[in-house]
Amino acid sequence: MATIIIDGREIRCRDGINVLQAALEAGFDVPHYCYHPGLSVVASCRLCLMEMKMPDPRTNEPQWSPRLVPSCQTPVRDGLEVRFDSEKVRANQRSVMEYYLVNHPLDCPVCDKAGECYLQDYSYRFGQAASRVVDPKHKNPKKDIGPRTLLYQDRCVLCSRCVRFTQEVSGTSELCLVDRGHRAEIDVFPGRPLDNPLQGNVVDICPVGSLLDKSFLFKQRVWYLRTAASICRGCSTGCAIRVDHHEDRVYRLRPRWNPGVNDWWICDRGRFGWDFIRAPDRIVSPQICRGGEAGRVDWSSLPTMIRLRIEQVVRRHGPTSVAAILSPEMACEEAWLLGTFLRGLAPGAPLARGPVFVEGQEERFPVGCAPGQERFIIRPEPHPNRRGVEAVIEGLGGESADLEEILGRAAGGAIRALWVVGGYPRPDWPDQALLAAAEKLELLVVQDMLPGALTRRAHILLPFCAWLEREGTFMNHAGLLQPFEQAVQPPEEALPDGQYLWALAGHAGLYRAARVREMMAAGLPGFDRPHVPPEEPEHAH
Amino acid sequence: MSGFEPVLLRNVGVEGVRTLKVSESRGGWAAARKALTTMTPDEIVEEVRRSGLRGRGGAGFPTGVKWSFLPKDRKHTVLCVNFDESEPGTFNNRYLAEHDPHLVLEGILIAAYATRADLAYIYLRAEYHELFHILQRALDEAYAAGWFGADILGTGYRLECHIHRGAGAYVCGEETGLIESLEGKRGWPRIKPPYPAVRGAFGRPTVVNNVETLACLPAIIERGAEWFASIGTPGSTGPKLYTVSGPVNRPGCFEAPLGLTVRELIEGDDFAGGMAGGRKVKAVIPGGLSVGILTADELDCRLDFTDVLNYGLLGLGTAGAIVIGDDADMRKVLANTARFYAHESCGQCTHCREGTGWMARIAERIAAGAGRIADLDLIVELCGRMGMMSGMSICGLPDGAAYPIRLIVEKFRGELEEAIGRQPPGYTERYIRDRIPSVYALPVLQAGAAPARERAVPA
Repeated sequence: MATIIIDGREIRCRDGINVLQAALEAGFDVPHYCYHPGLSVVASCRLCLMEMKMPDPRTNEPQWSPRLVPSCQTPVRDGLEVRFDSEKVRANQRSVMEYYLVNHPLDCPVCDKAGECYLQDYSYRFGQAASRVVDPKHKNPKKDIGPRTLLYQDRCVLCSRCVRFTQEVSGTSELCLVDRGHRAEIDVFPGRPLDNPLQGNVVDICPVGSLLDKSFLFKQRVWYLRTAASICRGCSTGCAIRVDHHEDRVYRLRPRWNPGVNDWWICDRGRFGWDFIRAPDRIVSPQICRGGEAGRVDWSSLPTMIRLRIEQVVRRHGPTSVAAILSPEMACEEAWLLGTFLRGLAPGAPLARGPVFVEGQEERFPVGCAPGQERFIIRPEPHPNRRGVEAVIEGLGGESADLEEILGRAAGGAIRALWVVGGYPRPDWPDQALLAAAEKLELLVVQDMLPGALTRRAHILLPFCAWLEREGTFMNHAGLLQPFEQAVQPPEEALPDGQYLWALAGHAGLYRAARVREMMAAGLPGFDRPHVPPEEPEHAH
Repeated sequence: MSGFEPVLLRNVGVEGVRTLKVSESRGGWAAARKALTTMTPDEIVEEVRRSGLRGRGGAGFPTGVKWSFLPKDRKHTVLCVNFDESEPGTFNNRYLAEHDPHLVLEGILIAAYATRADLAYIYLRAEYHELFHILQRALDEAYAAGWFGADILGTGYRLECHIHRGAGAYVCGEETGLIESLEGKRGWPRIKPPYPAVRGAFGRPTVVNNVETLACLPAIIERGAEWFASIGTPGSTGPKLYTVSGPVNRPGCFEAPLGLTVRELIEGDDFAGGMAGGRKVKAVIPGGLSVGILTADELDCRLDFTDVLNYGLLGLGTAGAIVIGDDADMRKVLANTARFYAHESCGQCTHCREGTGWMARIAERIAAGAGRIADLDLIVELCGRMGMMSGMSICGLPDGAAYPIRLIVEKFRGELEEAIGRQPPGYTERYIRDRIPSVYALPVLQAGAAPARERAVPA
């Protein structure tokens, strides 16, 4: 723990960080482009320069150094005195900001980054209003550098964050710098486009509108976007994400700082793998099959109907004739609500975790790094909450069975009513064994998102909402419990799963995940205290 | 300069001196033998420190002191020989190595032995094609004779030496830019610390020395530090190669003790022999472009490490003088200077990347006859922000750009203003609007100098 003094204010800071990071963490709005806490320091943007007291080489007495020192490059040490609020520092910021606009096209009205652009913000805060440039600008070209990313070189501030990202985090080194001086450009090598599973991050770390995501290009002005804090469902890593949405439409997912889990990054599978929520044939209303005909029912009459049908089976075949298959796509709260509901009607009802798929192999980054040196891992299990569902089943006690056993019992006639939760946005769900077992049932309740062979066999069909339309918690591969907010409303007619399960369990009012977690904590200690990642310092980016 | 016997150029004109045999017959390699067989590395470092030898590459850092920064417990040391010689107007290293390659190689061996380096790289400027072959032939010969390789002179000392050719970037003459380029990367100067002496080429402690500095070593070993220190002026000891280019009678490379005045260099019979074609001196860029410029009234400036500072120059530089005759247009000198740095800025630091490009465009517009008085103020202001205060950038290039550009504008302001005054009325405005019509509506054309609060960074 070192103590440094910035503008006369004593600041206690972690050891081993640099002055810029310490200042940002203390709330100072220090302008910076090239510095990123997850990347190496190059000290090239020259915006974070500060006045510092350096030991005089002759007397060793601390003296105000006549030159300005890059704060990103200076490690904190006890007693270091720094001036940020000084005319000299401001003069440097003004001049650097003027330089940044010498060749910048000032095309904010058509730039996707406008509104969240640090060239705009810093020009406004640290720069000046009028340009003094009367000579023609050097115009660098616009380039298509990869299947998902565009490069507007004319807007670039050459902070080289993207180049360092591909070198240090993804380890794929597709990006490089070519040419010199103000003609310098970011570029890819011939025939080697920017195409790696982490490439979307270069768009996030670009402080200006130079690197743009093709799928977001010209789609929405960012000042209309609202943001929800969520957790990625792409794999079991459990990356924290931000969901940018407007009028119940999701526009993009971005990483949210989550040290130790995903740091500042997410992979493209998570970033772009949410298209299914826009599928036109999604199941949106509860349906009940009477005499071979499926018909919609009203949400308000649903709880009574389901309760009656299950009670009927229990009366006829005993309390162990009801079972449920809980999907690893569910949130912990939903699994708990469903489990307690069923156990309330049929105390011996066995619960099983639904199938877990495997997608590809574990991908470690930087590519080719030594074990233990990984900075990012994409895991092959494409579900967010296998461990959470398993923990809930275990916490509920009673009989837990594995999937095969339940299907076997259903096929053998011991299980007469089965509640199957799906929600897998994949074509290989459901498998034949499940479909075969479903044939013999008296009551099949299916919660699913997209219609398929299983939903057609369902006696009661309930919509399963995408995770962006729900709230709850996921437990990642390492057992870390992380909450996620509801970003958008489900499609018209549909209710979030938590809401109807809440009503089914006999509760009135709105479903609140935090309240369910408190109820869960009695049997599942720690569930009322999920891990919430720390906020990034306000002015860090 | 009677009485001075050339030290570095003593073999110029001797037939066949590029061969080892002739070189040895003229006393070449004797100092290396003396150093390796009778002296310890630390004795050599001490000898060089006492000789007062300062780096000839431009910054003038004392060579012995530089060597002493190497960590004591180092295992492998790399010696990089800076033969990038990219400073405009400078060709003394080329002249030296073309005429006496073995002197350079001998200096490399002594320096490598003194720093206990086991690996030496000669970072050769890309454009020196012919010189590459001359040096390579001499190096092959020296290898064959056992001056490089394993167990040199039976002392057990091993040194490998390679010639690495650059790719034509000015900034690779900066020591960390050179190291990056040598490692096969983009020639971007590194942030310091760590300094090359601690972690340089390939992560090893590294010394970077200029060719001419190393060429001084054999003489220091042979004749002693006191003899070397007796040449030149206090604080600037030893012989120095001066080059002169421009409209003089005898452009070329000359050797003299440090402290030669610019006037002697231009007018001396042993040197450039006066101006050609009856011209007068209008200006002299005395030490490579980056140090700045002298007017015709400042020719008594002594070219050593201290007197140049009295004339507002950045330093001695490489002592490669460019003489500008009275028929030259200073607007074109300014434009050419600014264009060079805009072309060579590496693009890392914002001040330098954007500042040099902006200044070049302003200077080229002035040269095209569409200048404004306010442009001169603007250039001086940009220079003030960019360089002048060393350490504002990763390397010294912006300082080296700011000195000549600012000094040209300041010292020749009268001439520049007069030229701007001769422009037809309204021409500048038309010229600018033709090129960027959007400027038409902006207040910048009407504004004079910059608003007061936009002044340069206070020192």
